Amino acid sequence: MSAPLYRLQGIEAAYGEGQAVLRVPELSIARGSILGLAGHNGSGKSTLLKLLGFLLAQRAGSLRFDGELVDARALRHGHLLRRKAVLLGQDTCLLSRSVAANVAYGLKLRGQSASKEAIAAALAQVGLPAADYAGRSWRQLSGGEARRVALAARLALAPLALLLDEPTAGLDRASTEHVKAAALGARAAHGTTLVIASHDLDWLAACADTVLTLDEGRIVAGLQ
Amino acid sequence: MDYFSEGLTKAVALLLALDPETFSAVWATASVTALALAASLLLGLPLGFALGHFRFPGRRAVRLVVDWMLSLPTVVIGLVVYALFTARGPLGEWGLLFSLPGVAIGLTLLGLPIIISMTATAVESTDVRLTQSVLSLGANRFQLLAATLCEARFAMALAAASAFGRLVSEVGIAMMVGGNIKWQTRTITTAIALETGKGEFASGIALGIVLMLVALLVNMVVGLLRARAATDYRGRA
Repeated sequence: MSAPLYRLQGIEAAYGEGQAVLRVPELSIARGSILGLAGHNGSGKSTLLKLLGFLLAQRAGSLRFDGELVDARALRHGHLLRRKAVLLGQDTCLLSRSVAANVAYGLKLRGQSASKEAIAAALAQVGLPAADYAGRSWRQLSGGEARRVALAARLALAPLALLLDEPTAGLDRASTEHVKAAALGARAAHGTTLVIASHDLDWLAACADTVLTLDEGRIVAGLQ
Repeated sequence: MDYFSEGLTKAVALLLALDPETFSAVWATASVTALALAASLLLGLPLGFALGHFRFPGRRAVRLVVDWMLSLPTVVIGLVVYALFTARGPLGEWGLLFSLPGVAIGLTLLGLPIIISMTATAVESTDVRLTQSVLSLGANRFQLLAATLCEARFAMALAAASAFGRLVSEVGIAMMVGGNIKWQTRTITTAIALETGKGEFASGIALGIVLMLVALLVNMVVGLLRARAATDYRGRA
């Protein structure tokens, strides 16, 4: 059995000097698994995702990712970690460019070129036909469409881990099905590990192998 | 009224005849404005970006000084530059007093705080979500800076257009540092002041027409850029 992709031990996280908002004594996330995170607003789901996406450093405890210890030294080159574990945050926004340029942006950051076919494939995964959408300006998108374009930009990177914070917020039923298919497709195609936070428990249960419930920054229940 | 319309007719005739004296002033204005704007942008864009993007001790004090410089009367800037460049001044041996480069340096001191302040505001106003979105896609620090600059491009172009409008219409610095020397350092604004004082309204009006056309163009560009910059931020909200 291969080592887990993430291994957290004695983790405490906080914003600034304030009180800890997340405490995780022990958590392992297996490679290629889909972990769901449930809980009320402010329960710590987004904080855990930021920690896993290396946008927030732990105050205490140890975090291992892909077999490497993620400490202050590793976080000095955090972009290298963030190229493997990509977060779609609740408040992610698009660049003021075309849809195609937004989808290609992450690849360009890695020095890779994005072919029309790759862009079209990423858009198709979230149910947006490239013929209709690739040339559109970001201004011409609805909120739900912008969110799906942001997801397509992350799927195009085929990361080791994809972290989705409320990916279906504001989407209609058909769109949420596209997001679910995209998540499952990323695992099937690239072995991507997914961690998904959502309030839509039925949708989450249909996507995830395991759902953890958080409350006041602690994992209080797990359901497989 | 005849007096005015006569002046206007003569002014149009001067412009159509490409009167050398009139166009000497236009050329001098274009030269010093272009030089000063280039220097202001070269220095002001990185400084403004640093002021808007980075958090460092004394940042508020620096911002206060820049905003204070925005309200400095141009004759005071002219006085300071004159004192620096005069024969007895610390930079007197450079021979910049009563020269176009001297006027351009004075105008740079006028344009620089405009560029720094507006660039800093543009960078500060760039959606905070943008930083997280770009970082989460794997951007390093340099790539984050490039993305922020790119997103603030219309607001920074607005800063350049605003500075240009201020520089091209400036009179105090041009008069004090340039000395209003015919065929050499006489700009549109100093020429208007002189010609009007001599009762030569036609020349004054001719130059005034040029200045008003430039001002109209600048205002149109500023209006366009302001709309684009505002749409960028509204659209992402």
